[in-house]
Amino acid sequence: MATTSGASSSGLAKGAPINIGISLSLSGDFSADGIAFQQGYRLWAADVNRAGGLLGHKVVLTFVSDASKADQVQTNIQNLIAVKHVNLVFGPFSSLLTIPAAKAASRFGYSMIEGAGGAPSVFSAGLHNVFDVTLPIANALVPFATWISSLPKSQRPTTAAYVTSNDPFTQPQLPVAQKIMEKAGIKTVYNKVFPSEVTDFTPIADAVAAAKPQVVLLGSVDVPTVSSFMQAFEQSGFNPKAMIATAGPDQGAAFLKAVGKANADGIMVPNSWYGGSALPASRKMVAEYIKQYGGNAAGVNADIAEAYSVGQVAAQAIVATGGVDNAKIIKYLHSGVLMKSVEGNVKFNNAGQNFQSLTYTFQWQGTSGTKFVQINPTSDPKSAKPVYPKPAWGK
Amino acid sequence: MNAIALLNAAKDGILTGSVYALMATGLTLIFGVMDIINVAQGILVILGAYLSYALSVHLGIDLFVGLLITIPTLFVVGVVIERVFMARLKGPEKTAMSILVTYAVSLLIEGTLNTVFSVNVVQLQASYVTRSFSIGGVHFGFIYVAGFVMAAVLLSALYFMLYRTRFGVSVRASLADQTSAALVGIDVRRVSTICFGIGVAVTAAGGMIYGSTNAFNASTSYDLISRLLTIIVLGGMGSLGGAMLAGVSMVFIGDVVGTVWSPVWSTMSYFVVLVVVLLVRPQGLFGKQSARVA
Amino acid sequence: MRQKKNLWWLPAIALFGFFPMWVSNPSYMAIAVLTLLYMACATSWNMFSGYSGYVALGSGVFYGVGAYTMALASTHWHMAPGAGMFWLVPLGGLAASAVALPIGWAALRVRRHTFVVITIATLFIFQNAAFNFSFTGGSAGIALPFIQWNASYYNVPFYYVALGILIFITVVSAVVRRSRFGLQLLAIRDDEDRALGLGVKVAAVKRAGFTMSAFTIGMAGAVYAMFLGQIYPQFAFDPFFDISIALMAFLGGLGTLTGPLLGALILEASQQYFTVSYPYLYLFLYGALFLIVIMFMPQGVVVFLRDRVTKKAEREKAAVASNEAAVAGVAS
Repeated sequence: MATTSGASSSGLAKGAPINIGISLSLSGDFSADGIAFQQGYRLWAADVNRAGGLLGHKVVLTFVSDASKADQVQTNIQNLIAVKHVNLVFGPFSSLLTIPAAKAASRFGYSMIEGAGGAPSVFSAGLHNVFDVTLPIANALVPFATWISSLPKSQRPTTAAYVTSNDPFTQPQLPVAQKIMEKAGIKTVYNKVFPSEVTDFTPIADAVAAAKPQVVLLGSVDVPTVSSFMQAFEQSGFNPKAMIATAGPDQGAAFLKAVGKANADGIMVPNSWYGGSALPASRKMVAEYIKQYGGNAAGVNADIAEAYSVGQVAAQAIVATGGVDNAKIIKYLHSGVLMKSVEGNVKFNNAGQNFQSLTYTFQWQGTSGTKFVQINPTSDPKSAKPVYPKPAWGK
Repeated sequence: MNAIALLNAAKDGILTGSVYALMATGLTLIFGVMDIINVAQGILVILGAYLSYALSVHLGIDLFVGLLITIPTLFVVGVVIERVFMARLKGPEKTAMSILVTYAVSLLIEGTLNTVFSVNVVQLQASYVTRSFSIGGVHFGFIYVAGFVMAAVLLSALYFMLYRTRFGVSVRASLADQTSAALVGIDVRRVSTICFGIGVAVTAAGGMIYGSTNAFNASTSYDLISRLLTIIVLGGMGSLGGAMLAGVSMVFIGDVVGTVWSPVWSTMSYFVVLVVVLLVRPQGLFGKQSARVA
Repeated sequence: MRQKKNLWWLPAIALFGFFPMWVSNPSYMAIAVLTLLYMACATSWNMFSGYSGYVALGSGVFYGVGAYTMALASTHWHMAPGAGMFWLVPLGGLAASAVALPIGWAALRVRRHTFVVITIATLFIFQNAAFNFSFTGGSAGIALPFIQWNASYYNVPFYYVALGILIFITVVSAVVRRSRFGLQLLAIRDDEDRALGLGVKVAAVKRAGFTMSAFTIGMAGAVYAMFLGQIYPQFAFDPFFDISIALMAFLGGLGTLTGPLLGALILEASQQYFTVSYPYLYLFLYGALFLIVIMFMPQGVVVFLRDRVTKKAEREKAAVASNEAAVAGVAS
């Protein structure tokens, strides 16, 4: 059949564009992130095309919506490759959809470079074609836990709460941090999981508050979870000395809008990238984003950088292999070559994890909603002084 | 685990539960009078929340003042839904068909809300939303207390209407038996339309409180409707008092289980309670009609 | 009554049987696999809920149990990825039926309206359990053995297995409808108290119907898990699945044999089309489509069309009869 011939031609026809297919959740549970990812992919394609394309070929993106459903993403990948004859596919949003998508792509011999499927289950599924440009999430909280544990005894908190959504992205993160912090003598006073589909967080937040932990580690996948916890904490007059959430505070303007600028002061989040990154490519991307969508550097969603990095890694692979032969691209990405992205260095191990990715902790500081800075690792000279203990709510 | 945590859970259960009770009362009233299961109740709560949101963000109208606009608006929405769609349902499949029709209606509303307000989650904001006061170490969020008071006022008003007015007599007659009510000269059609309107109107108040205590978007409605259905079945379908008691006790049980044991089991706990109660009492706590036990 | 034998199923089977040969587009094939699974589930659902009038909205439990049976068995027994896993499909069905026994025992003691809500509750109980028990893999779900068939024919084996399941349940459903058992279910739908008075063992009949209907849905769930290669609690125990198959049966014609088949075909296809073509408006369009069908064809598409055809035939017959009033014919 002729359907897969696009994959085997490393030499594209002269003047033919490089067509990249992406299934994203434009409706349903993941649509907020899906739409941010779409912006990031578009930004990258526009930049590449402005610079004359790749190997002289224009980049064209084809988006289809999967409505946040696993069977739809599987159908979409087949549709993109076999019917729309795209040359490459990029990843969908969330670890949940990444596995079915990557399996479908793998049967066509296609690579799947992605930026939002970092759960350990993605890398243990036996896939050879998945490459996650973003940090492997299991150790994301390590810099934070190390920093908290290294504080002088007089400042070091004595109690901590670990509360996480029932999700493959968040659940693996907390035990790693808990181990480090317990070793430093920080007592665990609350350690519970809540269902991912819950909407009323008040009773859970109240229970956390009643345990009076000095540090709260929240395993969240989105903004509403974090904002609900923060609101409930404020209501019950509870203010921890430090609070970190696995995702949400990295969503820039969307986060500020939900929690209010003043309340963001002191809130932390682990990630490998932030809007204030000093990398030249990142600064350029952020400037372009602001030109197009408004706002400021602190307000740029980390999803944008994750999607943009996917594009950058694909571009380097296309240029290095001289075309869009997916077999060559997979081989190239597995070769241990060091690549660059707006999120920093990229180098894949056998499972497709980017083990070059550095993990930082970022913190919102002040009440202006413009200061989102790197605070960990403390050994990094670029890290700013953390706001600690966390100021009172709304102050 | 300490006493404060348990007290907190009990407080949350009662305060939040009363708002659920209000929303569920609307649902059970509709069922009792018309044999209609309105699965659009969940999305109507969200619609109510979005209306409050639009009024407060775009026109700067206070959330509570806004209720003077949103409650009548949703009453009209209810009347329109009843007249256009529900009035056509007849025959033995009426209840089952009503689930389908109201589900389709809820899809329409959900699609519209997604387009108008986008899928980004929002929460109602006001200066008093995060305020609280403390009694004996237990914090009371202002908005929760306000929700409790409002639910109590509205439910009392509903009871007053049912038991102290002529219209209430017609409603109670229709609740007991539609055919006999029609025979004694009650305009059952008019009663049905108004009851549907009232049943929907309470979602405006419920939605305002829900929207200021939870971040929401249109798809939040699925969690809501599954809770509300559970509540009215537990209370006994068509029983107003049952809906109230079940509303408060279900949220209460869920919150206590979440605190004592784990939040992951709190959602499950009220479904389990429901199944267990129905095994003992198939008609629910206050259900009137006897169940078929064969 | 001598009627022309109804042979609609012959061309239908031929059409479905040859479909993969002239459709090489894998994405259409993937949609076809899901559509066949939905058709089978809707038919199986209808065999109980349509015939007996007990609308179940928790059939996702059976689908999920079938899916988890496939996932757990294939990973625990370290099965080689490939066609051998299809042997687990009937096991998925059996597991679903085994789960249906206690659920049916408990849930069928109540009135119809209450039954609807209890079935919804069971779905959430099972989804929650799948999230929180360790043997189900929790929120990370279970990755099944990775089947690396070539992409161009990957869907085909699933297609034929799904078609086999569909033919199986259509035949079973047709046989049940004509059997004593089927008549008892229909009697329960018309008037349960009267059926009881006439000596029908309503409780046993309902339970048997419920358990039987779970079997096929469980098999479909097993195929789904294998097809996707990865399952999660929220996709295996999916509340939308419950509503979808019920809607499909209603839309086509509740209690009829062809109704659920047609309903599933229309709904699944239109949903796929709307999702991809109108990502922002699809819920609205989907809801509008429903309302139009429910409002104008409350008995379902099949009954609506059948009534039209018979009415037309009757009108013609009446015309003929009045012209040849002298010739008294015995109408069938």
